[in-house]
Amino acid sequence: MIQQEIPGKPITVTINGKEYRANEGEILLSVAIREKIEIPHLCYEASLDPYGACRLCMVEVVRKGKREMATSCTLRAADGLEVLTDTPEIVKHRSILFELYLAEAPKSDVIRDMAARYGVTRTRFLKRIEQGDPLGNKCVLCGLCVRACSEIMGAGAINFINRGPYTVVNTPYYAPSRDCFGCGACVRVCPTNAIEMEDAGAERVMKSWSGTRVPLSPCECCGRYYAPRELSASVLARLDTPLKEEIARLCPECRGKHIAREEILAKHGGSAKHA
Amino acid sequence: MRIVSAADMEKVSRSGLRKIRPEKPRIAVGLATCGIAVGGMRVYDRIKEIIGEENPDIELARVGCIGYCREEPLVNITIPGKPLVILHRVTPGDAEEIVRAVEKGEVPVEKALCRIPLWDHITGCTQEYGAGFDGIPRYEDVPFFSHQKKVILRNSGLINPEQIDEYIAIGGYAAALKALSGMAPEAIIDEVEKSGLRGRGGAGFPTGLKWRIARNAEGDRKFVICNADEGDPGAYMNRNEMESDPHMVLEGMLIGAYAIGVSEGLIYIRAEYPLAIRRLQTAIGQAREYGLLGKDIFGTGFSFDIGIATGAGAFVCGESTALVASIEGRTGRPHPRPPRLTDPGGGLFGYPTDLNNVESWCNIPVIISKGSEWYAGIGAKGNSGTKVFSLVGKVDRVGLVEVPLGTSLNTIVFTIGNGGAGNKKVKAVQTGGPSGGCIPARLFDTPVDYESLNRIGSIMGSGGIVVMDEDTDMVDIARYFINFAASESCGKCVPCREGLKHTLLILNKILAKKATKKDLEILSDLTETIVATSLCGLGQTAPNPVLTTLAYFRDEYDALVNP
Ligand SMILES: Cc1cc2nc3c(=O)[nH]c(=O)nc-3n(C[C@H](O)[C@H](O)[C@H](O)COP(=O)(O)O)c2cc1C
Ligand code: SF4
Ligand code: SF4
Ligand code: FES
Ligand code: FES
Repeated sequence: MIQQEIPGKPITVTINGKEYRANEGEILLSVAIREKIEIPHLCYEASLDPYGACRLCMVEVVRKGKREMATSCTLRAADGLEVLTDTPEIVKHRSILFELYLAEAPKSDVIRDMAARYGVTRTRFLKRIEQGDPLGNKCVLCGLCVRACSEIMGAGAINFINRGPYTVVNTPYYAPSRDCFGCGACVRVCPTNAIEMEDAGAERVMKSWSGTRVPLSPCECCGRYYAPRELSASVLARLDTPLKEEIARLCPECRGKHIAREEILAKHGGSAKHA
Repeated sequence: MRIVSAADMEKVSRSGLRKIRPEKPRIAVGLATCGIAVGGMRVYDRIKEIIGEENPDIELARVGCIGYCREEPLVNITIPGKPLVILHRVTPGDAEEIVRAVEKGEVPVEKALCRIPLWDHITGCTQEYGAGFDGIPRYEDVPFFSHQKKVILRNSGLINPEQIDEYIAIGGYAAALKALSGMAPEAIIDEVEKSGLRGRGGAGFPTGLKWRIARNAEGDRKFVICNADEGDPGAYMNRNEMESDPHMVLEGMLIGAYAIGVSEGLIYIRAEYPLAIRRLQTAIGQAREYGLLGKDIFGTGFSFDIGIATGAGAFVCGESTALVASIEGRTGRPHPRPPRLTDPGGGLFGYPTDLNNVESWCNIPVIISKGSEWYAGIGAKGNSGTKVFSLVGKVDRVGLVEVPLGTSLNTIVFTIGNGGAGNKKVKAVQTGGPSGGCIPARLFDTPVDYESLNRIGSIMGSGGIVVMDEDTDMVDIARYFINFAASESCGKCVPCREGLKHTLLILNKILAKKATKKDLEILSDLTETIVATSLCGLGQTAPNPVLTTLAYFRDEYDALVNP
């Protein structure tokens, strides 16, 4: 369920001793991102409900002189809220979490660079390297791909399989998915670039998702395959624009040229549909 | 027939009483899962074979379990005018002798565990069975029972859990009648609040307060749920409560639903408890027949019904948010709170929901019946009432033990449990299941209450007490519990999913004598981080067995590691 965010009344929060303006009820992590205060995070995405799985975004909340750890992606801004992002306590636990990530996703450059930025360059834990891992030993199970697929796209093609340390993400029974639109939303949200996707001729291959193949439609002008067929149909059904026809038939490049031509035609006495 | 008045109740009660204490002798076999497992059913069948289907002289009945696991199978004999006698360790071979004795108005004395001349069912009548059989020890002189106080288990093993009349005969549903027809919902919540009852599912949250929050929550539809997931290894209190006295759970939920203002209830129970599920279903069916569930209960206009949802028995599904996800048909993975279940949007299908443990619900009828003052008089300050513990492991007297909160571990393990099995020295206990801590014997004067257990690194949990003796290897125990927690982790958050895996790998390395002092440091750093950063209670408490064994049994670790 994606909750509608109604901006709350303006308030002031204190981060690392400095005051910032925020809206009441706003996610603290998004305030920090806006204000360019660095808090590491892997599983947060503004368009999805708070999830709280990666635990990297933990901060200390100061309340009545006492400090308590909380994930900033689930913490809501309230007037007078005071948090600290780099206390010795946070640094200590965050470092161990980075060590765990380095062991879990040893092939991920993103994780390696992120950990290094926080001073963690090696792990004391046994690295997990699995031959033939469809996610290239880069997945940190942040769940963003699963949630984007079901909550944003409504496809539900991928999910978690097993539990505990055996958890992985893939299609049910590792079978090519019939629900996958091939939209690539998962690829775009993945923080560790773990998901592999490739366009091969008239098909898009979701290499990480059990070799799922999705047919593409060709551009009527240049003949290049440019968009998943199923997806275009379902997206178009929801679209209401005079450009509908161009979108359905032409790839973005040809669409641009086509529109420009119509524009010129219109100026010189021809007719243009999309006035 | 529908019960709408005290007079109706009285009528049913009389019929029930005739079943509990018929005019002829009654032989009742303890048939909860535990009794069945050690041959109770065979004893029952053999007795039935001997006396025949319909015996005009002897009544044969099934009852629940009184909780003395070591002495099972247990058989109760009631001969009119004589004390109730409990026979123990009964085999099918004893059946003949039992029947012959009963026919003569006697009992086989050498098989007798104890006699009960008088039993206080607390919510209703005091059963005066009668005098005689002086050669058999009295119930209160049996060391296993003498320090117990049976409030929750007051009917367990004495009534037939599949006969609603018997429950009503000993005062059942009288509290519900009193509450629904004579008390305002707020007054009930006040009463529960004043009783000091705290949640028996582990966290000890004040039950009355939770009800008040749920009552005041915005929502045109709300739910009450009974948490019967009971996933701790070695814990089976809830199972016995449901198998031996299921109507007590239903009555508690009925009163709670009325107080909160809810018409829909659910019991979330693990599929591994088939007998409990069946008895609950039977009980729900009977309660509906009498109009104690359904529309217009007691003619008050209040309607409430209960459904059963079975879970696949994942430990994490006992956690409130995972439990709700599981009922909704989603994967049982916790989500961050708030929103809490009682918040709008946070509960079942998004509706405000009150979740309580089986035993929390069981406490309600007696609180309403006897009043909060009576209840608050039991136990310790801030920790009122009794708690049922399953005392298992390397202890002499294994069984279900009900004592007032604040009773010391010494009393439970030594006075009631008689110390180590086979005269071994007791070394430690683990309270609170896999999320609890190992408490060394030198701290056994600790009173068992929520705060005292926390102070020494353990938790109350749902009430499992596992005893370890001098032969137990504490590092191995820590590994056992970590292995359990790691494989039950839902896999959502990294400290629990990855952290527990590496904790297990390090413990394996230590036990294989391949670890160094450095590994112990990593172990203690890692477990501290798991506690501090995990999303839900599973991860936050899972390292307790390691942390406490490191604190109290450091020498055992040191002996295994290389410098
Ligand atoms: C991992 C985990 C497992 C749990 N298992 C149970 C359980 O089996 N039964 C239970 O009543 N509570 C269990 N709980 C506690 C519940 O989340 C919740 O606090 C409880 O059911 C509330 O009821 P109460 O207030 O009556 O105790 C568990 C909690 C966690 C974190
Ligand atoms: S594949 Fe990427 S987005 Fe999906 S769970 Fe793994 S890390 Fe997260
Ligand atoms: S602590 Fe463990 S069980 Fe709880 S959410 Fe995290 S991974 Fe799941
Ligand atoms: S961003 Fe907060 S837990 Fe992942
Ligand atoms: S013998 Fe029944 S609970 Fe132990």
